[in-house]
Amino acid sequence: MLQQTIALIIIAFFLARLYWQKQKNYIGLNEFIFWLAFWILAAGLIIALKFIDRLVAGLGFSSSGIEILLYLTVTVLFYFVFRLRLKLEKIEKDITKIVEFIALKDK
Amino acid sequence: MKIFCVIPAFNEEKNIAAIINQVRPLADRLVIVDDGSNDRTADFAAEAGVILLKHIINRGQGAALRTGTKYCLNNGADIIVHFDADGQFLSRDIKHITAPIKNGAAQVVFGSRFLNSEHSANMPILKKYFIMPLAKAANKIFFNVNLTDPQSGFRAMSAEAARKISWQQDRMAHCSEIMFAVKNHNFKVQEIPIKVIYRNFGQNFFGGLKILQDLFIAMLVN
Repeated sequence: MLQQTIALIIIAFFLARLYWQKQKNYIGLNEFIFWLAFWILAAGLIIALKFIDRLVAGLGFSSSGIEILLYLTVTVLFYFVFRLRLKLEKIEKDITKIVEFIALKDK
Repeated sequence: MKIFCVIPAFNEEKNIAAIINQVRPLADRLVIVDDGSNDRTADFAAEAGVILLKHIINRGQGAALRTGTKYCLNNGADIIVHFDADGQFLSRDIKHITAPIKNGAAQVVFGSRFLNSEHSANMPILKKYFIMPLAKAANKIFFNVNLTDPQSGFRAMSAEAARKISWQQDRMAHCSEIMFAVKNHNFKVQEIPIKVIYRNFGQNFFGGLKILQDLFIAMLVN
């Protein structure tokens, strides 16, 4: 219970920070919505931890709910790293286009 | 037929002047693409009076060849030759690699180090018997390309073919990509034996893996 309360306080801090960033226009609407949904989902999962424990046990996993959440989080993080890699690749290509344009300008 | 030769160069101040002197008599125009060198490569090329295209930062051999090829296509080339600046290729082979395009026997010609066993005799053993067969197998499995030399950087293409071949890879994976594009367009292809003087090991096993990784990422991005 204490751990859940601490986790919810941390999430509340990040939500407040997110709201402040949006107010100051440091982030766009899409990014705001994404992180808002992310933190609300995280809070929901923490509140429903007992239900997740039962769900996980019902599905036949021997791990507890929080462990399954951890595995899922790592998977999601890997996915984000992968997306970042693709994004970098696109930026690299754009840089090359600019370099090529400069090289061929007036030639 | 106007032959344009594209030579990408990155930190090749020791070789570039000699390469220019060797290649210039064999091409109507010599295009040096300085790929963001930190040394005096660009100065030497400018002093030699050849066409110099400058990448303001290093973007890789594939990107430099693309820039040079675009220049050639915009300036009336009939045949475009890709050549290296490190002095490993022999300039006399330019005559042989352009001949099949001149007489209409091919639209794209690749130089191969493996058509004449004498030419690959001085290839490092690890490269000859391990890396090259692996690269050849990768080309066959992933791209259905069945050329004798899987990573030859010495090639010639007609302007018509060059307009249709587009390679996206900035670094070393462009070799496989060009071969794949040539196969996809059903161009008339020939391979001719070329001799290579090895001054360094060149592409190693991990370089080969990097090429596969780059091609895989490119497939996902596209």
